Amino acid sequence: MDFELSEEESLLQAAVREFAQTEVAPIAAEIDRNHRFPEEILPRLAELNLLGIPFPDEVGGAGADYLSYAIAIEELARVCASTAVIVSAHTSLGTSPIMDYGTPSQKEKYLHDLASGQKLAAFALTEPGAGTDASAGKTTAVLEGEEWVLNGSKIFITNGGYADVYVVTAMTDPAKGTKGMSAFIVEKGAPGFSFGEKEHKMGIKGSSTTPLYFNNCRIPRDALLGAEGQGFKIAMHTLDGGRIGIAAQALGIAQGALDAAVKYAKERVQFGKPIAAQQAIQWMVADSATEIEAARFLVYRAAWNKDHGLSYTKEAAMAKVFASETASRVAGKAVQIHGGYGYTENYPVERALRDAKITEIYEGTSEVQRMVIAGTLLR
Amino acid sequence: MKIIACYKWVLDEADLKVEAQSRRLLTGRAKSKISEYDRNALECGVQLIDESGGEVIALTAGTGGAKSSLKDALSRGPAEAVFVKDEIMAQSDPAVTAKVLAAAVRHIGEYDLILCGEGSSDEYSEQVGIRLAQLLGIPVVSFVNKVQVADGVLRAERKLDGGIEVVQVQLPAVVTVLPDMNTPRIPSLKQILAAAKKPVKELNLAGLGLDQAQLTAKVRRQTVLGTVMERKGIRFRGEAREVVQQVLTVLNKEGLC
Repeated sequence: MDFELSEEESLLQAAVREFAQTEVAPIAAEIDRNHRFPEEILPRLAELNLLGIPFPDEVGGAGADYLSYAIAIEELARVCASTAVIVSAHTSLGTSPIMDYGTPSQKEKYLHDLASGQKLAAFALTEPGAGTDASAGKTTAVLEGEEWVLNGSKIFITNGGYADVYVVTAMTDPAKGTKGMSAFIVEKGAPGFSFGEKEHKMGIKGSSTTPLYFNNCRIPRDALLGAEGQGFKIAMHTLDGGRIGIAAQALGIAQGALDAAVKYAKERVQFGKPIAAQQAIQWMVADSATEIEAARFLVYRAAWNKDHGLSYTKEAAMAKVFASETASRVAGKAVQIHGGYGYTENYPVERALRDAKITEIYEGTSEVQRMVIAGTLLR
Repeated sequence: MKIIACYKWVLDEADLKVEAQSRRLLTGRAKSKISEYDRNALECGVQLIDESGGEVIALTAGTGGAKSSLKDALSRGPAEAVFVKDEIMAQSDPAVTAKVLAAAVRHIGEYDLILCGEGSSDEYSEQVGIRLAQLLGIPVVSFVNKVQVADGVLRAERKLDGGIEVVQVQLPAVVTVLPDMNTPRIPSLKQILAAAKKPVKELNLAGLGLDQAQLTAKVRRQTVLGTVMERKGIRFRGEAREVVQQVLTVLNKEGLC
């Protein structure tokens, strides 16, 4: 067993850390405060190949592996969870299904632009009445001649409005339940395709989350992704990979909160000595660091399994549930260590606490992750 | 143009801890990195090549541990790396380092420009570049924060205490650079992955015609201790005029004004 990162992984970690510290950290609080999508950072993400990390060089990606992707998301989330989720939703949710299920012509049309970061992607599964129960989707797609006609709406779509390409699920045969769901590639600007207002969220405020509306939206027949009726399978497979990204995001949020807490504990003097000298603080720091390390091993293990062609459904679910709940606990303790200052926007830990919560919810709630884990054990 | 950019693999000062009682440096958990100003030298070389063509060779001399630096250096743009590996470099002083680098440069052969950081992040002796030029018998320009090369002539701005001095020098030459010369690039993922495919030439002292006797450091490091900044925590209260007087009195007592 080897717990060391490879030279390339260490260099990648250092490069992303430097980028995150020098170019993302300075805007992190501002984009959160102003609910501003950081469009200016996208060209830099593309330049550093951070928008196509696990995709091959031939299709415009960086040609790295999923572990490298997880490390990069962790480093971004350490300073800005919003930037991390923009990258994560683009990569593992929006672009991966085209990589995995796209026809040669779909790949040629979309993959290079997406993997090289020239265009941004999003994934649209959730509907107002179909969250955890994704099979209850009401959006429909009907083939009329050479076009699919989509009707319905999606909700809580990350990168909504800013993404150029959307992978959208819709029922092509509602009577068949999950087997009647199909996936489509819908371009921004398609007739009948529009966006709703941005959600006002508790956290990750720099990311865009919008509803999508399909009103007799017409897309070409060859916009079908994978086979007709394969949409649910595509969605579930995509979410398995996406969970590693969100788990890595949660891990980064936790690490960033601990970094801030350790720094503050050493600087803050009460009763004539730094509060780091108090056992109450030491225990919070020790527990947080231990949980983070455990989360890191789970996240890296899930990514490693994916890289080695091994099953990773259970591992990704374990990584996500543990890392996300760790993020909330660690961020909570970080606020506690900061005392009153931690409850203000002057320190990054209140943002970390708000950002952490969503990682327990999106791309499968903690409850769903436990269902997935139990399902693999009790099958 | 053929540029040799020299760098040193040093302990990352951000990872160093100082033991409270003895002030001894705890380096056990410290990672290493390319010395800060040497990153500027590498970047300078790559920018010159981007403008006018040619190639940059990254050159380092160090112990076996410095092997970890090669992909890092190559991800920053050089076409190849030359690594002089010998454990003697752990006890090296600037004179020894310059001798080893000079031998490596001669081994490389033709070159137009040698770039070094003004000083290393760990010892900052500011001697290696100058000694290297002397050993090679070529000019050196130090404290440089801007360079241009045209028709075999290098025009450099030297940032000195009293102002900016502009000099011209016929190549080949050694230039030692300051950190405000450029912002070293953050390598992209593709550049990091491509670094593994770039050629690395590993040399040893015997292969360079050097023997241990020539390489005995004259400077011996006895101890390295961390500095601890102790704050006096003096508070001044009262009207501004009185406070200024109090501050002046204290500074006077400390011999600071």
